Amino acid sequence: MDVTAKSHFTTHGESAPAKSYVFWRPTAKTGLISWLTTVDHKRIGFLYGLFALFFFLVGGSEALMIRLQLMVPNNNLLTAVQYNTMFTMHGTTMIFLAVMPLGAAFFNIIMPLQIGARDVAFPRLNAFSLWTFAAGAIIVNIGWFLPDGPPITSWVGYAPLTSKLYNPNHSTDFWILGLQLLGVASIAAALNFIVTIINLRAPGMTMMRLPVFTWMTLVTSFLIILSFPAITIALVEVMMDRQFGTNFFEVSNGGMPILWQHLFWIFGHPEVYILILPAMGIISEILPTFSRKPLFGYPIVVFSGACIGFLGFTVWSHHMFTTGMGTVATAAFSLATMAIAVPTGVKIFNWIGTLWGGHLKMRTPMMFALGFIWMFMIGGFSGVMHAAAPADAQQQDSYFVIAHFHYVLIGGSIFALLAGIHYWFPLVIGRQVSDFWGKLSFWVIFVGFNVTFFPMHFLGLNGMPRRTFTYDGNMGWNTANYIATIGALILGVGIGLYFAVMIYTFFKGEKANRDHWDGRTLEWSLPNPPPEYNYRVIPTIHARDAYWYEKHHREEIAQENAVHAQEDEAHGGIHMPYQSIYPLVASCGALLGGFGACYHTLVVALAGGLVLLSGIYLWAMEGAEGYHIHLDAEGRIVEDPHAKH
Amino acid sequence: MANDPFPTESMRLKSLLTHLARWRVAALLLGATAFLTGCDLNFWRMDGHQSTIVVNGPVARSQLEVFYVTCYVTLAIFVIVGSVLAYTTWRFRAKSAADEHAAPPEQGHGNPLIELGLIGASVLALVIIAIPTLKAIWFTYDVPVEDKANVYEVNATAFQWWFRFEYPAEQIPGSGTLLASNELVIPAGRPVRITLRSMDVIHSFWIPKLAGKVDMIPNRGNFIWLKADAPGYFWGQCAEYCGDSHAVMRFRVIALGPREFNDWLNQQMAPARTVAAAGGDQPKAQFASYRADWRRNERGYSEKFELNPLDAWRAHQEPDKTEDAALIAKGRELFQAKTCFSCHVIRGHMVGGSSAYPDLTHVGARTTIAAGLLENNPEQLARWISHPDQVKPGNKMYVTGYLGNNIKLTPADVTALVAYLSSLK
Repeated sequence: MDVTAKSHFTTHGESAPAKSYVFWRPTAKTGLISWLTTVDHKRIGFLYGLFALFFFLVGGSEALMIRLQLMVPNNNLLTAVQYNTMFTMHGTTMIFLAVMPLGAAFFNIIMPLQIGARDVAFPRLNAFSLWTFAAGAIIVNIGWFLPDGPPITSWVGYAPLTSKLYNPNHSTDFWILGLQLLGVASIAAALNFIVTIINLRAPGMTMMRLPVFTWMTLVTSFLIILSFPAITIALVEVMMDRQFGTNFFEVSNGGMPILWQHLFWIFGHPEVYILILPAMGIISEILPTFSRKPLFGYPIVVFSGACIGFLGFTVWSHHMFTTGMGTVATAAFSLATMAIAVPTGVKIFNWIGTLWGGHLKMRTPMMFALGFIWMFMIGGFSGVMHAAAPADAQQQDSYFVIAHFHYVLIGGSIFALLAGIHYWFPLVIGRQVSDFWGKLSFWVIFVGFNVTFFPMHFLGLNGMPRRTFTYDGNMGWNTANYIATIGALILGVGIGLYFAVMIYTFFKGEKANRDHWDGRTLEWSLPNPPPEYNYRVIPTIHARDAYWYEKHHREEIAQENAVHAQEDEAHGGIHMPYQSIYPLVASCGALLGGFGACYHTLVVALAGGLVLLSGIYLWAMEGAEGYHIHLDAEGRIVEDPHAKH
Repeated sequence: MANDPFPTESMRLKSLLTHLARWRVAALLLGATAFLTGCDLNFWRMDGHQSTIVVNGPVARSQLEVFYVTCYVTLAIFVIVGSVLAYTTWRFRAKSAADEHAAPPEQGHGNPLIELGLIGASVLALVIIAIPTLKAIWFTYDVPVEDKANVYEVNATAFQWWFRFEYPAEQIPGSGTLLASNELVIPAGRPVRITLRSMDVIHSFWIPKLAGKVDMIPNRGNFIWLKADAPGYFWGQCAEYCGDSHAVMRFRVIALGPREFNDWLNQQMAPARTVAAAGGDQPKAQFASYRADWRRNERGYSEKFELNPLDAWRAHQEPDKTEDAALIAKGRELFQAKTCFSCHVIRGHMVGGSSAYPDLTHVGARTTIAAGLLENNPEQLARWISHPDQVKPGNKMYVTGYLGNNIKLTPADVTALVAYLSSLK
């Protein structure tokens, strides 16, 4: 373990690299350049979080437009085309540009801290993931500012609606290429997390001592690397159809539109768990902390998380119960889907077990976590209803489905992510969020959310199909739609309040003390905000709730750390990686190339590819070098590490 | 304790009244909202035209029964787990700052027996759901064997954004299979097996009161079966996003008793109806004027129609008594002059058109136009043919027909065309 944990120390050591214009290593610690070239997992995570929250607000505004259009029957706020754009972009934005990167923000910031690492395994690859994500996000959204408009084929982009025949302009290309880049970013990031968790755990941090959030990061990362190739292939096929006249989905030449659905959903269903498993991880951290008790049945919670991930690959066709799969396939996917309810239920039982007998501290993160359990239960139950294929034949593509997945995605994922922001805010930002305002925003969000989405169950059962820009007033849908829109406005106010509180706290909040919540996992042993090197001494782990153990065995740990600090010094101090500009260069190449491909301009596409390849080449050639930091007894840096260069 | 029940009773009553007084405010607020929005407050009855809860056929009923099983089982679990969660939260919450700083509770790590027991219980609950689910999957898939001999076959084909219905059992000498558009008439009480095809993108065929949806996918032969318990008029809608006008791609299903169904078939098999000019002096055509100030996406149905849709459909089968033969003749000329005939078939009146466009041979006998969107009356028909783009965004009649052939209609043209189309019973 020691060997892998300290592999950084075996590289180039103190020898300062020769200065060169090509292999310029930026050293700025503040300012724009420092952010553009950063390889610090906390900064990268912070940027992921900022981008994600920005797109969360964009997606939320799109949702409000949708709700306002549907407030009354035969409304004219939006045209059909504008409305179809809104729901396409709302879905795409929320899934790929808000919830996924917000999860990635947590993976980046929290996971290395939880395993006692000083960074992720490949810091520059991490930066590349971030900037490629940004490139993908730009391409997906660029249509807002161009005459062709944003994508309009819904977030599932069913062939042959995405073909050139039915959507001749470039909006669909923005969607295809944008998603393609987002996939690259996700896969690179996921591989990085997997290698980090496998290799960079502190000594004694065995797999069965990993915090559950880190476990869920691992499972989610495996889901990403296994599921994204499917959509990558599907997107390449539809891109080839559009740009080079191939016939994967071209009906008149024997193409099979159903193939898109299979490829999309074998990605799409694991994707659902990519969105929810990090949330479950966060909840599994918050509940023990605020109950002051270890997680109930840790092994079975971890195992059921892995089980959900595994079963997630066996149920994709439950999104296709109405495609005429025949009885046997329908029955098989129906039963497999029901089976997923078991590990999911296990998690809920174990969370309740965690609460049982605890001292429940009702702070804002705990409120969101409890709200999560309630809302996720409702979403889970309507999920079981969809699993029963005959019932699903009525519910599929109706507002019942809209209600279901918003209960699991807002009531589930978003509640947990908002809880996580509150929970880790004192550690990462070092400021303390007001409990009153936090709880108030929770209640407004909770009420608004339920008022919006609960009536949609009734709408769906009363036959209102989704993705419809208008409805007639004689269908019995008026009241529920009106209430839902009022709820959406309340939800909007709640989210606005939440953000206002967070922004205020970020700038003006009271400084938080160390270990703000009486935490149990390793990250709470750090000062807030954590220094760039994270751990002064790589800790040695003796128990599952590592920091809880440390707090009860202070002397033993102090002695151990003193020994390890000496060892570190003997190796030359704390090793830090250099910043690098090349991940950003490579991602800019991806952006340029993607844009060229959108407009079917070979020259621009090739130029972009060239920039991408040279970025990667130079990044490889500049080497994985770094510098050393030396600390005094108080943890201050005693000499300027860059002075030598 | 119960020496004198009356004071207690009156106290109870009093507290009940205070409660009611409190609720009255809420009720008033709710009522005011309802009044302001003009909607009813019992939306949970879910008995609308596309209800999946109040259903009229065995397939939808079987799907509903499965839904109820899932609903009851999950509701029971929700009540149990929810109560435990609520109790736990209440019982173990920290009541004061002292509680929060008390010595930590026992650091228990779990209880394998409880955990395994709960897994067992969840599996059991799922088995209760799985058994009726499996039964219904097989039942709803295809017509039961004992009913096979009695089945009536129809083909449905979807286009952006309308439905074509073919009756393969009804062959018209010289012009092939009987075609209908957007209104599917079926025999009540007989199983109907509908072959589902799509000619462009993916659509989905959904008549909630009769059966759950099945998708219409290009290059894929799907089918659905359903049965209407009794004669009735049903609302259907495309349920898969299929482009600009997906929301307004609707249709109707009319189920008729055996004799009425046969009468309808005979009427449909006949060529288009021609209105003979009255003898003697040829009266001059009367050009009515229709409303022209339609808002985009304004509603196209009327309350009168809603009262009894099936009877309204029956009334639509009869010719209008105030027909203006001269105007109709003018409309027929215009239908050719404006090149409408190059797409739309009017069997017996003119040669031209194709089955890739709505057949208009008996369009006057339909209750709706523009794929179930507008009620078929002269006002709405005039609205539809004068501004198809305003009614149905992106529709092909406007984009390729009107723009492609530079079709311009004067109000007088519209009147004549409306009279002609309405006469095609």
